[in-house]
Parts: sequence; structure tokens; C-alpha cells
Amino acid sequence: MRYKEYNTNSVLEKCIPIFWEKGFRATSINEIVGVTGVNRFSLYHEFQNKEGILYNALKLYQKRYGMSKFDILKKEGDLATVLQEFYLSFLQSKEKYQGCFYIHIGTELADEDPEIKSLIRNYLAALEFALIERLIKEAKTKNNPKFYARHLVGLFCTSMSFCLIHSEKQKQYHIANGIKVILNKK
Amino acid sequence: MPQVLHQSYEQLVEKAQALFWVKGYKGVSAKELADCLDVSTSVIYNKYTKDMLFMDSLGYYTSNYSDPFLKQLRETTEGLDSLRDFFYSLIDALLDKTFPKSCLMVNTVVEMRNANQGITDVYQRYFDTLTNSYKVVLDKAIGLKQLKYPEKKDEYAEFLLGIIFSMSILYKIQPKEQLREFINEQLSFIE
Repeated sequence: MRYKEYNTNSVLEKCIPIFWEKGFRATSINEIVGVTGVNRFSLYHEFQNKEGILYNALKLYQKRYGMSKFDILKKEGDLATVLQEFYLSFLQSKEKYQGCFYIHIGTELADEDPEIKSLIRNYLAALEFALIERLIKEAKTKNNPKFYARHLVGLFCTSMSFCLIHSEKQKQYHIANGIKVILNKK
Repeated sequence: MPQVLHQSYEQLVEKAQALFWVKGYKGVSAKELADCLDVSTSVIYNKYTKDMLFMDSLGYYTSNYSDPFLKQLRETTEGLDSLRDFFYSLIDALLDKTFPKSCLMVNTVVEMRNANQGITDVYQRYFDTLTNSYKVVLDKAIGLKQLKYPEKKDEYAEFLLGIIFSMSILYKIQPKEQLREFINEQLSFIE
């Protein structure tokens, strides 16, 4: 049996920034070979094609980055403050790639690719679930957690795109305002 | 002999805009752009560059798609009901591909961010117009006594600004009825 000389996850880890920076279409297999150091035959053997690399990179992103950010929602404390921290955790200026890999790729590809559609649907469903788990514990939202969660997911989609062009102050205002308008529903 | 172009620059921009809308900026090569415009690549390298065509595509999009749409919105008289109709027609345009791939401006924000001052200026003008249009409709809603808290107009306008961004993702994964319900509920936050 041939010994596999690379670790699949470390290969995918290297692909995330390149897809993020250039988009899927503009990234060539040659560039992927360049950043990962794995030849194209091995890449195709492992992932079938460039799409396969992207699908697996998205899954890895959720496991490695998405989940730990979703865990912020479990923190003790004021709901609006925790939500603000959650959204902003994706938009820290110290991070090279601001925003969310799923929303980024979904913007480019989710119209035509059913697999991407379903990955995004699952990702947002996982977020909605994490929000519901938090909202059922709050007096204000416990009677209708799904309703609030749906709109907080909407705010997630908005802040992962619109806030990419905001200054620090603008993004804090936009997110805080969104949270306030949603939670203050009469 | 230099190549003679049988098309006006405006015609080229119109075609380029359609391509950028579907494929984005980075996903379009010079060759692909030249093929789409039916010109040689040297035209793209030497005369009408990809950057120039892209910036003018954003201008074309604004004046041909969003401006007329927003002008209509500002002329409406029914306040929040008009706003609901506006978002419903946005959903229709997204689903029936009148807008072939979400909103070109939203796509550009995600793909290019503040890549250069020129693009940042385009966003500024675009989102100012959008915000002002929402405020015009909110004023009418206030006149019709549809808002419980008229003093929150600016906060509501900022909130509404987010809708084209959330719609740009959600329309890809949700059916029409669910999108309409989402809009109804979004508007219920400001009633």
C-alpha cells in the first residue's frame, strides 16, 4: 500500500485562504498544487476535482472555526452583549480574512451548485440551532425562540457581507442596531 | 491596421456588466472578457481595461437597475405596504433571474471589499441613495401613523439597509413563500 505523505486536513487548511482571497473560479489547480505541495494526481485521487477540494475545505472550516465561534453563544451574560461578541468574532480586524467562509463562497457559487447550496443550508441551520439553544433560556425570547433565531441568522448573513466594507465603528453600530431592532420587538 | 470597433463603449460596458454580474471580477479572465465583448484581447490590455470596464459596469448597474427601482420606491404613497411590495418585487427579480445573480453591488462588496478608493466611493453613493430612499418611505409611513416609534426612523433605515444583503444569501436556499414571510416579519420589527 502506498504511504500517503500528507495530511488531508493540513492540505485543506492551506486551500481555505486561497479560495477566500481569489474566489473559487479564479483559483487554478496549479495554484493549489503550489500552496499545498501535493501533486495534482494525488489531489484528484483524494478529492475528485477542484469542487471536491472546496466542499471539504468548507466542512473543515465549520469544524475548526465555525463551531468555536458558535460556542460564544453559550457564554453567560446579557443576551445582546453575547450576540454582539458572536458577530464581531468573525470580523476582528486582526484576522486576515474577515467575514465567514460560507457566506463568501455562497455569494460566488450558491446559485448554480446544489452541493454548495446544501452546505450553506446546513451551516445556517446549525447556527439557527445554536441560537435557539440560547434563546430558550432568555425570558424575552423563550416563547418564540425560532422566530428570533431566524432573524438573527438574517443579521448574520447581513453582517458577514455588508460589514466587510465598514469601519470598526460602523460595523459595531450596524450590528448593535440590528440586534436591538430584533430583540425589542413588541 | 488598427482594429475598428463596431460597437460603442456603452455597448461593451453593457455586455461586460452582464458577465461580471454572474462571474464576479476575479473570476473573469482577459480572454473571457474579450470573447464576451467580441473584441481582441489587445483591446482589453491596451484600450478598455478590465478595471475600467468593471468600474463602468457598476455605474451601468446603478443607473439601469437600482436607480429606476429606487425612484419608483420613493414615489410610492403607502408607507410600509409600499416597502413590502418593493421587497416582494426584489424577491421576484432574484428568483426569475431578472437579477441574474443576487445584487451586483452586494456581490462586489463581498468579493472586492474596499479594494480601492474608486470602489469605496461607488459604495458610498449607492448606499447613501438606498438609505435616503428608505427614509423617504419611512417618512410617508410616519405620516400614515404606521410606526409606533417615529423617532427611531434612522435606526430603522439602517436596519432596512441590511435586507438586500440577507436576501442575497437567503434567496439561494429558501422558497419564495418563506422569503416573503421573512420580509413580513422584518417589517413587523418597525411597525
